[in-house]
Amino acid sequence: MLSIRDLHAQIGIRKILKGVNLEVKPGEVHAIMGPNGSGKSTLASVLAGRAGYEVTKGTAHYLGDDLLALEPEERARRGVFLAFQYPVEIPGVNNAYLLKAALNAVRKQRGLQELDAFEFLALIKDKMKLMQMDESFLSRGVNEGFSGGEKKRNEILQMAVLEPKLALLDETDSGLDIDALRVVATGVNSLRSPERAIVMVTHYQRLLDYIEPDFVHVLSDGRILRTGDKSLALELEKRGYDWVKQEASAA
Amino acid sequence: MSAIAPSPVTAHYREAFERLQSTLGGSTLRRAVAMERFAELGFPGAREEAWKYTSLRRLESRRFVPAAQSTTSVDVPAAFVAQRLVLVNGSAVGPVPAALGGFALGTLTTAPEDQLLRTFAGGGTERFTALNAALTVGPLLLSTAAGQRSDDVVQLSLVTTGAGPTLASPRIAVRMAPGSRARLLLDHVDDGAHEHFTNAVLDIELGAGAHLTLYRLQRQGERAFHIERIESRVGENACFVMRDSQLGAALARLDTRVSLDGRAAGTEITGVFLADGSRHLDSHVHVDHRAIETTSLQDYRGIAANKGRGVFNGKAIVHEGAQKSNARQVNRNLLLTPGAEIDTKPDLEIYADDVQCSHGTTTGQLDPNALFYLRSRGLSEPEARSALTRAFAGAVMARVDEPALASHVHDELDRRLVRLLEGSV
Repeated sequence: MLSIRDLHAQIGIRKILKGVNLEVKPGEVHAIMGPNGSGKSTLASVLAGRAGYEVTKGTAHYLGDDLLALEPEERARRGVFLAFQYPVEIPGVNNAYLLKAALNAVRKQRGLQELDAFEFLALIKDKMKLMQMDESFLSRGVNEGFSGGEKKRNEILQMAVLEPKLALLDETDSGLDIDALRVVATGVNSLRSPERAIVMVTHYQRLLDYIEPDFVHVLSDGRILRTGDKSLALELEKRGYDWVKQEASAA
Repeated sequence: MSAIAPSPVTAHYREAFERLQSTLGGSTLRRAVAMERFAELGFPGAREEAWKYTSLRRLESRRFVPAAQSTTSVDVPAAFVAQRLVLVNGSAVGPVPAALGGFALGTLTTAPEDQLLRTFAGGGTERFTALNAALTVGPLLLSTAAGQRSDDVVQLSLVTTGAGPTLASPRIAVRMAPGSRARLLLDHVDDGAHEHFTNAVLDIELGAGAHLTLYRLQRQGERAFHIERIESRVGENACFVMRDSQLGAALARLDTRVSLDGRAAGTEITGVFLADGSRHLDSHVHVDHRAIETTSLQDYRGIAANKGRGVFNGKAIVHEGAQKSNARQVNRNLLLTPGAEIDTKPDLEIYADDVQCSHGTTTGQLDPNALFYLRSRGLSEPEARSALTRAFAGAVMARVDEPALASHVHDELDRRLVRLLEGSV
């Protein structure tokens, strides 16, 4: 589904990704862990198409297409979803408008009819219940005045509504208390399916107690140094990241 | 007579006035004095502060023919509300009804001339107020009875039209009796067939405890010149509210001047303007706080794109003795494309010591993070820009509490923004 080869990316002259390789198949859940500044969020941003990053080398293919050649909205319409680390507050654009416009953009791409207001409401009501969100939220501005936890729940709600093929979760656990983390994890787990792949970027092992990954990768200084199963995350929790770097440089 | 030699353009309007004056109605003397005042002041020079960002050279170079009493009706856009009167080049076609909604109507034959043909000193538009007083045809007086309260909106459609470039001088006087309440919608349109010049004057007075909401929509054609002065005197506990939407004309200047004369008088002047194409939209708001406990809010949102240019000049003066007054000014501007420009100047003068005043002005572009967020959800770049631009105007648009008008302005903004943004991407 997602095939990343020798990906190099930089902001200005600062090199951040220095040769990332990653293969993600449908149904898989991958966790990318690493210390601060290792390039985790850059990887998510480059895959979603955020401006300001220059890819200097390497490729990323999504369902056989050159992902990096697509505009951000094209990626979204083809089923790539990025849950933001810092969801943006947009006063004056309400959540209902955004969800409906986003959903219809995706449906159009899939050759489905656009939903009218009633069908749309019926569809999102269940998903809002799952994310424990009050209906009044629909008429509020996008993320406007939301707490950290509400913002993250809103990201997962959008994901649940859009049903992406490839979900990228950028530090979705950061800033969440344990109750909010459970709600977010329930939302993500409800979306696990054989057709869908999930790539989670996270600093802490904590999230992985709730969303169990099939693969854990350690990203450090712009490269994936080690790949393992969920036991690798537990080992990182115990021993930190340094030993991975040392073993990698010894090799 | 003035010793100043009239320039050719003032001579042009004076000659036109002399030809027309016998047909205009009202006393010739009052009109002639106004004409002389216009000739004396002439067109603004480049150094005049009130016209710093707006050149009238193009307007001055044209020779518009002042409109006479109109005798034929014209096509106008559908009314937003049930009660509507169409004025063609300032005058009604056929007899003016005695009443419209909650207003009694008066004309030069039924109402005092000194209420209908006043001139106003001061500000950059004094000259045009005088020109209007000289040339206006069919000025209209709208008045309420004391204590009469109506929530129905009355629409006046002001159409400028003519076989060649025409000067229309519509004039509306509104007299709100104590304790009365009304809502008025002013819709400026033109036939788009020529470069017309609309020179409008609104002369408003609110008695104690009166409340007037004035909705204004300026949607004239791409070639129109538009100058307008709205002069409002607000009595004790009275409130003048204006909801302005400026979407049209090639060059438009609006001077809104409010005098808060009575204790606890208040005003709210809010608006949006869209200076796209090569449109030039200039708004001056001037509020005088002359009594204690008076309050004012000015809030304009300006959008400019392409070669469009916006000007906003907001001024509040808290005069001596106007203690416990509150004056707020907000002006936020959005430049959608690189060539666009908006000049803004907030201005507060305070001569009382126990007051609350604030002003805030910003000019910027759409937030790139918000744009990326919307695009990452599948919205196209034009859709995302359009949504953010509408959101920008939204805080002010939310105050337009006449649904049909609000929906028209929303749709028009949408249509124009999508066209604009799709063109620029």
